[in-house]
Amino acid sequence: MKLNVFVTTVALLVAFPPPYECRAIDGSSNQQATDPDGERQSLPLLARLGEEYFIRLGNRNQNSARSSPDDYSEKSQYSKRALQLQLTQRLLEGKVGNIGRLNGNYALRALDSGERERRSEEPPISLDLTFHLLREVLEMARAEQMAQQAHSNRKMMEIFGK
Amino acid sequence: MSGTLRAQLCFLLLSVTVLRGRARFLDIQDDEMSPEGLLSLLSSELKRDLPEEFVYRRALRCLDMVAIEGQFTFTAERPQLNCAVFFIGEPSDIISIEYDSVNIDCRGGDFIKVFNGWVMKGEKFPSTQDHPLPLYERYSDYCDTGAARPIVRSSQNVAMLFFRLHQAGSSFTITFRKLINPFPCNVVSQTPEGSFTMVIPQQHRNCSFSIIYPAEIQIGELSLGQHNDLKRSILSCANSGDFVELLGGNGMDTSKMFPIADICYSFNGPAQLKVGCDNTVVRMVSSGKFVNRVSFQYRLLGHQELQQMKGNSVEDVCLRP
Repeated sequence: MKLNVFVTTVALLVAFPPPYECRAIDGSSNQQATDPDGERQSLPLLARLGEEYFIRLGNRNQNSARSSPDDYSEKSQYSKRALQLQLTQRLLEGKVGNIGRLNGNYALRALDSGERERRSEEPPISLDLTFHLLREVLEMARAEQMAQQAHSNRKMMEIFGK
Repeated sequence: MSGTLRAQLCFLLLSVTVLRGRARFLDIQDDEMSPEGLLSLLSSELKRDLPEEFVYRRALRCLDMVAIEGQFTFTAERPQLNCAVFFIGEPSDIISIEYDSVNIDCRGGDFIKVFNGWVMKGEKFPSTQDHPLPLYERYSDYCDTGAARPIVRSSQNVAMLFFRLHQAGSSFTITFRKLINPFPCNVVSQTPEGSFTMVIPQQHRNCSFSIIYPAEIQIGELSLGQHNDLKRSILSCANSGDFVELLGGNGMDTSKMFPIADICYSFNGPAQLKVGCDNTVVRMVSSGKFVNRVSFQYRLLGHQELQQMKGNSVEDVCLRP
């Protein structure tokens, strides 16, 4: 009986390895998510900082790599990062047309119908974006992922608790 | 049914559901466990996809980054002509984008295009040298092939969606999934710090690990399956078919980045190097004759470290005034 159970267990472990979804997130540092309480700021201050942010974006071609390390100064606090992320979010919701533009390159593709011919003659699409803004949206996505993971964990604990 | 056989059957079904990772859907009544009730655990209700209430949903923004599996909808409140969404997964993921519902006017100039990789300012990751597909095959246009091929998959852990909607009210919904990639080749790191082991199993290909931050790389182990003769002086790895190189640059395209260092012999023990560029890349070139492996850690360079490098280093091309 015990031998049968043991053999069955070994056979199942070999045939069905644990799926990826069961693994905890690893391989990356556990950077803390943005503190949502730090995002509460007075409206006039947001507007003023927002203007500065837009001005920097307006000169994005002059935004060299050397300016980006300033954002990672040892002195930056939670509130500054949260404020930057919130500004980015407001920017993405309302003013994105000022940031991205199509940057044509080259390439031709096979031609079929008239509309397809017109579209296929268009060059591949690119996006003008600074690394600074790319990192901002990446950090927003990571914060969202951590929040969702925490929410999923809470849900599972509720299910197991029933 | 005897008690012993009943217990064995319960243990077998429990093991199968646990090992398949779906045990969280179990809702077994304690009073009676009939064979029919136990077999229902493996019914179609336990599908590969999560139930509807567990699917993550939100609206897309015109410029967005998505890292969570789920369903995403964009509805144009006004004409949106220049929009892009970045998708990113874990290093061992590939991206799957499925069109669920699309309400756009292709003949009117609307489009939705999926790009296999990331492209910024015309520079693509992975570069054309490192990607298995030619450039024109890396763009997938919904208006051309979306109906016939509603699911688009990437070759690495990043993908992009470009779209243009002229009419207010136009919308589309996509489902973003992450699939397992057992041998990740080209990777963009989600974090400025972490660790990774890249393995190229006897494939003639080049693989890059991109960290879009200035970073310090610490290579812990490098295994290149060629004969290692340390007595032979190696002035350059250019003639070697298998080597690892560290690149730094301010763009996405690894072929346009500056080589910081290259290593073409196996070694153990940490080797550290700081790269003060917007993009730090560990790239492995493999001839396909051997199984090559490199393990490394990376961390973000702080502002003071960058200032110090700027003052002292003459070789860091990205920090030169």
